[in-house]
Amino acid sequence: MLKHVHLTKSQWLGILKWSLYGLLTLAVLLLQSVVLSQLPVFGVKLAPLPVLIVCVCIWEGSEKGGIYAILATLFWCLSGSDFGNISVAVIPIGAMLSAVLCRAVLTLRFLPAALCCLGVTLVNASAIFVFKLILPPTVAIDSFWRILLPGVFLSMLFMPIHYALVKLISRIGVHDAL
Amino acid sequence: MKKHLSARTKWLIIIAVLLAGLLTVNSAMKTGGWGTRVVQSVLTPFRSATSALVRQVERYYNYVFQYESLQAENQALKAQISSMEEDVRSADSLQRENERLHQLLGLASEHEDYQFASAYIISWVDSNWKSAFTIGKGTSSGVCEGMVAVTEYGQVIGLVTEAGSNWATVTTVLDSALDISATVASTGYNGVVEGALATGSEGLLRMNYLPTDSVLRNNDQVLTTGSTVYPRGLIIGYVTDANFDQTGVAKYALLKPAADMDNLEQVFIITDFNNS
Repeated sequence: MLKHVHLTKSQWLGILKWSLYGLLTLAVLLLQSVVLSQLPVFGVKLAPLPVLIVCVCIWEGSEKGGIYAILATLFWCLSGSDFGNISVAVIPIGAMLSAVLCRAVLTLRFLPAALCCLGVTLVNASAIFVFKLILPPTVAIDSFWRILLPGVFLSMLFMPIHYALVKLISRIGVHDAL
Repeated sequence: MKKHLSARTKWLIIIAVLLAGLLTVNSAMKTGGWGTRVVQSVLTPFRSATSALVRQVERYYNYVFQYESLQAENQALKAQISSMEEDVRSADSLQRENERLHQLLGLASEHEDYQFASAYIISWVDSNWKSAFTIGKGTSSGVCEGMVAVTEYGQVIGLVTEAGSNWATVTTVLDSALDISATVASTGYNGVVEGALATGSEGLLRMNYLPTDSVLRNNDQVLTTGSTVYPRGLIIGYVTDANFDQTGVAKYALLKPAADMDNLEQVFIITDFNNS
């Protein structure tokens, strides 16, 4: 059946690129839910997946990256994340706005991307925290700076490796397209 | 900024908001969650493989880096065993007496009615506000929602709150969402135990609604009172502190969970028991 599928070289490279993004997302999801969830750092669990999603969206632009962000966050949410339904809106919207901001206003470099990642993860964690404050069983307000802030900042430690890998993968097919 | 947003990006933003709304309605109405079941079922083999790999790496790490400490622990344990053997000898005679009394009263041996399903933990919830994990067994192995997870020593770990064909989610006693009717073994005071996660006492449990005149001692054992969900007499934890609650009309106690939650690997689900 595949004999009848005619794809150009750039289309094959596109498939390869998005497959690699998919594998990277799966690997980070497994790292987050199997390894890091059992190894709290300074008493907090780290979440590198939102950082990766924002990184990919920034590099791929708000359209293709936005579709990826929605699908990846939806997959994460359905895999059993706590209050994932909030993240399904906050992370893709934050990631798309970051992509637009980085390309139109800032530059496509590490520091603006890191600031955008930090902003989106902080907004996402804060949105979940607000719901946790309102809905029972409620959490203590001091856990914002005891748990939430250290969690967000420590998760940012994954940013350089995510950034480097995403930058590497995003180059696939670029020269071919030119 | 607004002019840089393409029409497609605006549509994607609308789709993201709609999806979030749909998921919220779905979770509020508890209408099945087929999406969760599909994703969890797909992820389970990957999680099982990763979890097995992590366990193997952990074993090698422990073998290489903890050999000397294990040797010292071994010596200490040997000394402890010799002192415990003495206790066992006296306990043996007490047990024999106990068995005779059981036969005399025509009582069945304790917990003979329990049916167990063993399962390995394959992943933990990655949130700091929730304490739950996924096991690699589900409805196909007889594990259903509302079943209790315990250790091999009968210590309560949590409750199965969601189950798919090859996976199940166990919410631990540390999570504030669970309420367990409990009794202080030595004095018989009754109360309700809930997790103290993210309330400033992480890793501890809180036993509420104790009488104001209750006298509690450190290391008092707290057991399940028994209900349609929790069998009677399972160990929940040990008292570490007690105080009056905010209203001043009741006392609460902080408990250390009996199960070592940080080092859980395998759990046992009580699939059936006689609650009469």
